[in-house]
Amino acid sequence: MNHVDIQPRIPEPELMYSGHLACPGCGASLAMRYALKALGNNTMVIIPACCWSIIAGPFPYSALGVPIYHTAFETAAAVASGMKAALDQQGKSDVTVMAWAGDGGTYDIGFQALSGAAERNEDFLYVCYDNEAYMNTGIQRSSSTPFGAWTTTTPENHRKERPKKDIVGILAAHRIPYLATVSVAYPEDFIRKFQKARSIRGMKFIQILSPCPPGWKTADDQSIHISRLAVESRIFPLLEIEHGEKYTLNLEPEGISVRDYLEAQGRFRKLSEQDVAYIQNEVDRKWEMLKRQVS
Amino acid sequence: MSKKITFTSIADLPPLVVSMGTTEVNATGSWRYLRPVYHDKTAPCIEGCPASEDIEQYMYWAARGDFDKAWEVLVEENPFPAVCGRVCYHPCESSCNRDHFDQSLGINSIERFIGDHGLEFSLDRFKVAEEREQKIAVAGAGPAGLAAAYHLRRLGYQVTVYEKEEKPGGILQYGIPRYRLPKHILEAEIMRLERFGVEIKTGVQVGKDIPWNEFLQHDAVFLAVGVHKSRKLNVPGEDLDGVIAGLDFLSRINSGEDVSLGKNVAVIGGGNTAMDAVRTALRLGSTPAIYYRRTRAEMPAILDEIEEAEREGIPMEFLVTPVELIGENGALKAMKLQRMELGEPDESGRRRPVPVEGSEYVVEVDNVITAIGEQGDFTSIPEKLIEWGVVKSDAFGQTEQRPVFAGGDIIEQPHTVVHAIGSGKKAAMAIHAYLNGGDIATLADKIHVGNKGGVSFLRFRDGHEGDPVDNHEVVTFENINTSYFTRKDRHQVPELDVKTRITNFEEVKGTIDREAAMDEALRCFNCGVCNMCDNCLVFCPDVAIKRRDDRFRYEIDYAYCKGCGICVVECPRSALSLVPEGK
Amino acid sequence: MKKVMMGNHAVSYGARLSRVDVIAAYPITPQTQIVEELSELCADGKLDAKFIKVESEHSAMASCMGASAAGGRAFTATSSQGLALMHELLHFSSGGRLPIVMANVNRALGPGWNIWTEQTDSLAQRDTGWLQFYCENNQEVLDTVIMSYKIAEQLSLPVMLVLDAFILSHTYEIVDIPEQEAIDGYLPPYKPEIKMDVDNPHAFGALVTPDHYYEIRYKLQETMDRAPEVARKAGEEYGKLVGRPYDIVEPYMLDDADVVIVAAGTLVSNSRAVINEYREKGIKVGLLKLRMFRPFPTKRVRELLAGKKKIAVIDRNISFGATGIFYQELKAALYGQNNGAGSPDIFGFIIGLGGRDVTLEDIAEIVDYTLEKEKNEEDIIWMGLKR
Repeated sequence: MNHVDIQPRIPEPELMYSGHLACPGCGASLAMRYALKALGNNTMVIIPACCWSIIAGPFPYSALGVPIYHTAFETAAAVASGMKAALDQQGKSDVTVMAWAGDGGTYDIGFQALSGAAERNEDFLYVCYDNEAYMNTGIQRSSSTPFGAWTTTTPENHRKERPKKDIVGILAAHRIPYLATVSVAYPEDFIRKFQKARSIRGMKFIQILSPCPPGWKTADDQSIHISRLAVESRIFPLLEIEHGEKYTLNLEPEGISVRDYLEAQGRFRKLSEQDVAYIQNEVDRKWEMLKRQVS
Repeated sequence: MSKKITFTSIADLPPLVVSMGTTEVNATGSWRYLRPVYHDKTAPCIEGCPASEDIEQYMYWAARGDFDKAWEVLVEENPFPAVCGRVCYHPCESSCNRDHFDQSLGINSIERFIGDHGLEFSLDRFKVAEEREQKIAVAGAGPAGLAAAYHLRRLGYQVTVYEKEEKPGGILQYGIPRYRLPKHILEAEIMRLERFGVEIKTGVQVGKDIPWNEFLQHDAVFLAVGVHKSRKLNVPGEDLDGVIAGLDFLSRINSGEDVSLGKNVAVIGGGNTAMDAVRTALRLGSTPAIYYRRTRAEMPAILDEIEEAEREGIPMEFLVTPVELIGENGALKAMKLQRMELGEPDESGRRRPVPVEGSEYVVEVDNVITAIGEQGDFTSIPEKLIEWGVVKSDAFGQTEQRPVFAGGDIIEQPHTVVHAIGSGKKAAMAIHAYLNGGDIATLADKIHVGNKGGVSFLRFRDGHEGDPVDNHEVVTFENINTSYFTRKDRHQVPELDVKTRITNFEEVKGTIDREAAMDEALRCFNCGVCNMCDNCLVFCPDVAIKRRDDRFRYEIDYAYCKGCGICVVECPRSALSLVPEGK
Repeated sequence: MKKVMMGNHAVSYGARLSRVDVIAAYPITPQTQIVEELSELCADGKLDAKFIKVESEHSAMASCMGASAAGGRAFTATSSQGLALMHELLHFSSGGRLPIVMANVNRALGPGWNIWTEQTDSLAQRDTGWLQFYCENNQEVLDTVIMSYKIAEQLSLPVMLVLDAFILSHTYEIVDIPEQEAIDGYLPPYKPEIKMDVDNPHAFGALVTPDHYYEIRYKLQETMDRAPEVARKAGEEYGKLVGRPYDIVEPYMLDDADVVIVAAGTLVSNSRAVINEYREKGIKVGLLKLRMFRPFPTKRVRELLAGKKKIAVIDRNISFGATGIFYQELKAALYGQNNGAGSPDIFGFIIGLGGRDVTLEDIAEIVDYTLEKEKNEEDIIWMGLKR
């Protein structure tokens, strides 16, 4: 009955196939879908050990319409460096090389290679889809796991007392040309940043807060909602940092209570009132710091 | 879909682990235990509209600037958008979910813009189904009669409307003042029906100019003669000169008669007739006041009308009732009032006014205009159809006598224009069912929208193929995902300043402009109906949602959908539902 | 053109002549001059390659994998701890069928820190799916780099060439540098059949279930089985080109030898000198030089050692809890030959661990011991151990 001219909100071509093996409601699968929509098919993806090693499908199948190189856990940034070098040698510098790692492969085991590549300003895009624990192995804490979160290695009577590692701050300190945070709940912002990253030479780092229903103990249908709460509560600011100096806040939410974000997830079930107050305080403090950096 | 790859011998295998096909071989739909379905529901505004206008749909088109299409959608259910855009008390707006978010949508002002757009561009694209020979007569060219005639005509019938007055329109013509509904607007919308083949014979009263038995010779008849008799105050002095019945007063003014009023005019009552009368009296140069036996909160008039009267400086005396009209030489001089207080609630739910003994007082008045309610004049209607002062009928206007159907103010329903229009539509459907040997009651489930008795002509005529729709499930504010909306106040309607307007009968309220109409329509949540916002498509982690081939709406590829339900949660307007698999 | 150069520079020249596209390396003594020289060659534009100065050997191999996967000719060099750090990726690169070439300078593993030569580092990587070649002198080092690419790219398997720390790496010898044109004819540009290619996208190295993993591993072994013949031909062809043929194993005075020394790397040169002395005395000592260690050239070894009575295997390495590694491999290759009848008695000598000097006298002692003993009675015969 109705016909309108469709003006798609985000690029229409799909470079991720159905039938991939992500859990229902997986933020990381959605993230890949957006990323490839933004980057297009002139892209190569390097995947170290992470959830995506499984999601991408078993031999002889692939979930992506672009080449994938599956590699060892700690090697994404180094493999990407080599791959980009070979492509440059072949005159194929227009190919976007994207390393696509989880938080384990980024914050922890792959950190050295990442730091090395960042310091060398290698010309590729490193993406960390950050689900804040070792989810592929069954929810063990990583250095990205936030304060107070339950994991199988931080059980409720021995929870994580240290804050999440500030990977953005660390990468900013490398003064790489482009650094951004994105959320699956904000696809337009997500895609714009990937497209921007594609256009910049040198090292690009994008962090995606990637909700994980089994790991965060949320319902499958809550992934976008939770992601939005993370941004709205300022726990996960959407920002860009150029050359480690020029900060841009892409969204200045009114700032809902962190409680809304925390209470929506089973992994934070055992937080006390003081814990929530502490987290709120930390978020407020960091937000102020961020605002100073922006201005 | 990628083909499953099988290796028949080791020679087939590649020397390394390399893909040769896509994961589309993997039908992950088998993981699903909850199934998302596109499932349109009913917006509360539609349920709230007694004429069941498809408000959500015309907002969709209005927001996109396609006012032709918006008009077409609107007139599917209601032939008088320009009229209703002016006179309707818009219960749709009080049902609007947006009211819980910031302010309800300005539905009435958009409807008015669309109605005016239709007139401005002479839109009259009414579709007539195959012509039928059956003849149907309608008694009364008010909103109910004309609405019935319109829908019956669209169904192919030959329709004649008999109107006892000189001009068609009923209450619209003779009751509502010009400053609310300019005559040219009303007449243009009625002429459109005539061009469309509805025959209107004025100056013909059924039961008098046409004998009842002759009238009944039609294949079906629809009675919508309205109620025109103002209720009496039943106090001494009611026959004095200077005491005027409200409806008569309005009718005479609307007929162009000069009615001379004195200075002090008392209007008795708190309904719409009272408001119209008092504001009309003001415009005639008097100093009118309202006297009402309960408080402002109980006034049955549209709040807008009360507020406009207040804005125009009209005093209102509450909790008083006239007990005697005092004359001198047969002419009204004063009015004795008694103070009231509110007692226990009556059957209407409003607190009953109880006289306060010894509280009488007298005010000097030159005129009293009575507006405490109307009643029907059923002298020309067979008595057996009448019960308790109304024509006995069911929800579709079917009386006990075939082929007599009834609607508008003469049946048991609120006396509003939009209820009248709704009743005309329902009767048209019932007549169609009757003439085709069916029973409208059997269709009720299919054509009802919401649970307040409203019916959709579109669904009656065309059915509803394709997307599953639950007519009865009305979207609540809790069903709306407000993350996708930003707070924004509704557009203000332009209006004449008070000083100017009270000196004449110029239309008080204006029509919003095109940009404002689009902008305001964009505020619509589009409750319960997919408006192609792409959220489901964008947020599907399994690439299992695709645009349908016709590029309108989406389809879910259940071979892959894992049933995560994100599409359902992130649908801003509850146009999807999650149902257990296998049901 | 002949030039006097250290073994490390011979590696660099070999890489240059092979026209490598991508070099990723991390410095470690005694490999450093390899990367220094390559770095300069790249900087001077004498070598059109990208040199990625990675932050670890692990990343060096990872970068080589990335480059090779994209169809680039990748090169790295390391030693000892660095090689051990790469271990995981040695499996990854062979399993990924990437024809990377790596030079490993044989050095002892810590602790304590020891920078001198020993073969344990490379031999410990024997199960990773890499081909291994051991070089005797700097000329062979240069030539082997080039031949390694020839072999690697035919088999789609990575190749490690090994040279002894200091004895070759830092020792200057005359090396004949072949003409680039000649090498270009021998080693055409690398054009893999399948690679990371946006126009023909594939996923490499995905999850593989037990349904297929086994067969794909079988295929790797199948390729390994072809390697000796491919390597032999590569050496033969190279010989025709530059006048220096190479074989996967090389006999020296073997035909009539009563005692055969089996050795690899620079120990071969020592052994030749000793054999010459014994021959002058009329004692029939011969030599089998193992150039190729992986795949183990079992067939050639069996042919060449058929009917030999006594074999002395010299290991500058040890597999703790077992024996010298060459000794194990040789025993395994020769076990049960001729239905056990007349199979040789094999003596396993461990010598020179951690770079302790191996003199001609030491080798002579090994020969004497083997001549004297009626039968081998020990799993390990410790040479030069200060008890």
